Amino acid sequence: MDLYTPSPQNLVEEYIHNTFEGLNQQLALPASQAQPSVTLRSRVCPGTYIVNHQNGSLEASRSTELTRTYSWPGKTAFEAWRFTVIIRVLAIIEQAIKDRKTVTKRSVILYLGSEEWADEREPGRDIYYIDPAYFKSQVIINNIIEDLAYTIGVNRAALNVEAAGKGLVAGPVVLKREGQVILDARSSQDSLIPRIYEEDEIDIFVARWVLIVEKEAVFHRLVRNNYHTTALAGEGIIVTGKGYPDIFTRAFLRRLLEHAARVRGRTPPFYALVDGDPDGLAIMSIFKYGSAAHAHDNYMYTIPTLQCLGLRVSETVPRVMNYANKASSPLSMRDRQKVISMLRNNPAWASNGPETESRVELQRMLMLNIKAEIEMLYDQNGGLEGWIDRKMFRQE
Amino acid sequence: MSRQYLAWGSADHAHPVDIFSLAVTSKQILSASGASSLKVHSTVDPDFPLVQSIDGAHELGCHHVVTDAEGTRAVSAGFAGEIKVWACHDGHWQEDPVSAHLPRLNVWAVALSADGQYLAGVSHSGRIGVWDLGAEGTQIRDHETKGSFGYCIDLSSDGRFIASGHENGAVYIFTTEEGRMPFSLAGLVKPVRTVAFSPLGSILAAAGNSKVIVLYDTKSGEQIGNLSGHSGWVTSLSWSSTGEYLLSGSVDGKVKVWSMETKMCVATHSETEKAVWSAKWLPKSNRSECFATAGANRSVAFYREASGG
Repeated sequence: MDLYTPSPQNLVEEYIHNTFEGLNQQLALPASQAQPSVTLRSRVCPGTYIVNHQNGSLEASRSTELTRTYSWPGKTAFEAWRFTVIIRVLAIIEQAIKDRKTVTKRSVILYLGSEEWADEREPGRDIYYIDPAYFKSQVIINNIIEDLAYTIGVNRAALNVEAAGKGLVAGPVVLKREGQVILDARSSQDSLIPRIYEEDEIDIFVARWVLIVEKEAVFHRLVRNNYHTTALAGEGIIVTGKGYPDIFTRAFLRRLLEHAARVRGRTPPFYALVDGDPDGLAIMSIFKYGSAAHAHDNYMYTIPTLQCLGLRVSETVPRVMNYANKASSPLSMRDRQKVISMLRNNPAWASNGPETESRVELQRMLMLNIKAEIEMLYDQNGGLEGWIDRKMFRQE
Repeated sequence: MSRQYLAWGSADHAHPVDIFSLAVTSKQILSASGASSLKVHSTVDPDFPLVQSIDGAHELGCHHVVTDAEGTRAVSAGFAGEIKVWACHDGHWQEDPVSAHLPRLNVWAVALSADGQYLAGVSHSGRIGVWDLGAEGTQIRDHETKGSFGYCIDLSSDGRFIASGHENGAVYIFTTEEGRMPFSLAGLVKPVRTVAFSPLGSILAAAGNSKVIVLYDTKSGEQIGNLSGHSGWVTSLSWSSTGEYLLSGSVDGKVKVWSMETKMCVATHSETEKAVWSAKWLPKSNRSECFATAGANRSVAFYREASGG
């Protein structure tokens, strides 16, 4: 019988120790024989994905393991750079565990020290997916951290590296940890969505609906106009992931769903309000089915009952709006390619998949060659709020 | 003087998703949709039965399908960018081997010459190409325009002219013989989604987001008429076999028939508010004039002229 069950943190320390030990051995060899390298299990399988019928989550269709080896100096400058980044990330984690503190992904980026990475611009305005240089380094480092956790076989929290939260929530939600209120979204206009733990207690009071909006600017407008307390459908909760959501936002929404199911026996409707463009539909799909990067654990974060309120280009643009309206524009070549790859690769949008109407919407977007932003609804009758009121009633 | 067209039946739920394009032969109608199969319905039998389903034709769906005058050849264009050529033998369609020579033409809209030998296409960047399907798909023409997305293209039935319509509102006419523009047309201000030559090639009709159908004289390039009445973007135009009537379809679900004699709308039909993506006259036979429409309601609806009118 095994008396010693290592804690996740032990596993991490052991892994880092062994990795550095292995590298030291390599470095002790004559230069001609030394092959310092690190091998990671990759979460992202290059194969295809399926939507699991049992839990409605996006999963990899094959369980084949893919590993990637990064060596020094490597075949390309990029491989050498990645190798360096992995080693430095490991060193940061080792230090954080030793000091018993948690570092944020952002400070990892700052620590790594490149000017380009340490972009100090205000991240509020949808920068997460607009600024490609910033996004790229975020993605690479995030992938390395996720791959390390996956390789060691622990939850990411055990690495003591956490992304700073970015999702916002407003409405009747209170979150308590060990008896202390750590989030009360009733009292503030925009509460940051924190990492949520198993033992946290959540209360959603009288919330009749949950609305996920893609854009931060739209979230602020709705909250400023008190839509969460004045909606025709009653009081509700508004959430934004500021573009492509982080895992905390997804975990938080999933907890709302599970909590309502347990306490009330039925869940309030969950709605999504996204731009009428490829990114909008991709974001909707991540909330509902999950992302390719989390194919191994999407089932913990999905909202299978999520309904898309819009914006549907095909029902809004050709009839209501003047083409000259600034909030709509022709698709770029990149948009069109993105739609085609979404149709080809995401099983949710496959011809026999669960999202036939979204598939059609993507095809109509290609036909009409147009995209539209939620902001175009601001000058609708009753404003955006009136439009959402009408939509919510039609969906029920 | 209004004319009456009666609902003549339909192929209900012909596709599980939006039907984007229709093409006709003397006995059949081909439909293309966001699903992967092309469907072939008989137009001889008033029940419009499905006679063939070409499964797996376009994995990501198909946005254009066209036929030649004899109904022996068809060409379809898929969302993934692929072009396929189909040959008809005794009413049955199968892929033409010449398909293999047309891997990536990089075209959006396509048109086929009356004899089925030449394929014309317009690309996302507004390039217009012509390919000889009788010579293993060799490209024989390549015209550059101003780089604006090409939504639509048509070939005159005598094969002398090609016309295209673009995102920036431009309308171009090229002569196939010399490969040049005989004149420049005053285009529309907004995207042009459909262009169609009259049966004798003397008139070009163009329409799109401006909702007005503009008629051009193909000899001079002058605008000779405007047909206004649609309240939504116009997606489709089709001339009757005699050139007396023009059929138009719109995203607001309406189809209209226009008299060329009076330049007036003589009939309006709408069964749904859902977008009409395609409207087509059936070739003239010894019955009265008929047309078919299809779109976001996913069925093909047929209409015929009320007799004795």
